[in-house]
Amino acid sequence: MSEKIYFNFQGPWSDAATELLCSDTGSWRTERPVLDEEKCILCGFCAMYCPIQCIEMKGQFFHSDLNFCKGCGVCARECPKKAISMVPEGEFK
Amino acid sequence: MADKKKKKRLSKVFDYLKYEDPFAKGVSFCAGCPLERLVRFVPQVMGNDIVITGTPSCSAPVLLGQNGKSWHKLSYYGTLMTGAASNATGLARYYKRAGIDGTVVCFNGDGTAADIGFGNLSGAAERNEPFVYICYDNEGYMNTGIQKSSTTPFGAKTTTTPVGSNERGKNLRRKNLGLLLAMHKIPYAATATLSNLEDFAKKLLKAKEISKKGFCFLHIFSPCPTGWGMPTDTGIEVCRKAVQTNYFPLWEAENGKFSFTKEVKKPKPIKEYVKLVKKFSHLTEEEIEVLQKDVDYEYAVLKQLSLLDQECPLPD
Ligand code: SF4
Ligand code: SF4
Repeated sequence: MSEKIYFNFQGPWSDAATELLCSDTGSWRTERPVLDEEKCILCGFCAMYCPIQCIEMKGQFFHSDLNFCKGCGVCARECPKKAISMVPEGEFK
Repeated sequence: MADKKKKKRLSKVFDYLKYEDPFAKGVSFCAGCPLERLVRFVPQVMGNDIVITGTPSCSAPVLLGQNGKSWHKLSYYGTLMTGAASNATGLARYYKRAGIDGTVVCFNGDGTAADIGFGNLSGAAERNEPFVYICYDNEGYMNTGIQKSSTTPFGAKTTTTPVGSNERGKNLRRKNLGLLLAMHKIPYAATATLSNLEDFAKKLLKAKEISKKGFCFLHIFSPCPTGWGMPTDTGIEVCRKAVQTNYFPLWEAENGKFSFTKEVKKPKPIKEYVKLVKKFSHLTEEEIEVLQKDVDYEYAVLKQLSLLDQECPLPD
């Protein structure tokens, strides 16, 4: 992301940065959303409600971008088919 | 799996998400905070050419880019809580005079809208200034350490209304900000929340349209997982319960003409909402009853207003 420059001009009092960076919010996560593709009906509720908007269509299914997913669990709770489960990060280490 | 082709049945809300999300992927809102969904939703629906002006608040670290360049691509102007709406007035008038087709969005919390900046908000409403004022209501000063505000409901525990031997949370009632602003007979006032996104999107688009001519106010219910003591995954659930119990009814008022955009046929008892949130966990049956009365009263007022079927628009 950092290679993109959005502000070509910067006024003397502007605090506009010339780059848009991303915080490493993925490192906040204690639990990771794991999708059970069998149960998913592709309604998109998870992608719609994810506060940080990191769930995207990847291939045929909605998957979260683990670089930024904060592990809040909103997607798992709002999924009408309970297709997403929150698994502790320790299990992936 | 691939052979069993699944049909996409996407929710209608996706039709409203016409524009790119201008925020960086990793920004420092608390995990699970509905406010993050809200700030991303507004430009996704209204477009990325809006100009946001706001004040020190929960939204400021991201909107003002204080957390080290991980913020957004929107135009933003930071101002003080005491003059948020006056500041937006200036911007809106500038765009009008310069002939630029821009939507000014004044984006503030309940501390600015209901307490500190209430005077100039009311003034801008009375002068019918052409911009959209969005107040996200998390019922307190969450960013400074969870102090009570005038929209904090009865019984809620905050750091300035603690629960102990002498005090049992806030012993006053909340201010109904949406109703107060609608009583300025502004062109458009509405309430919305994050569980009913389609309704919210419609109201945003309506506000964008109407704000070319006059003042629009949107009151958004946005629970605070950190300050209210809710598990991070319940943000949307709490919004939904608030609507279902009539704690936060969804309505709109055009030129003083009220109508419900989602009328709850059989409202659930407030108990079901209260039990989801830890700031109410100390409440006794009688205290919950006080809250219920407050909710019933506000709903009854709205109901009567919606039956009036009268409006008072300004001449063009
Ligand atoms: S856990 Fe939270 S942040 Fe992660 S994908 Fe689900 S809703 Fe988004
Ligand atoms: S909410 Fe559940 S069922 Fe719907 S798309 Fe997401 S994972 Fe699939």
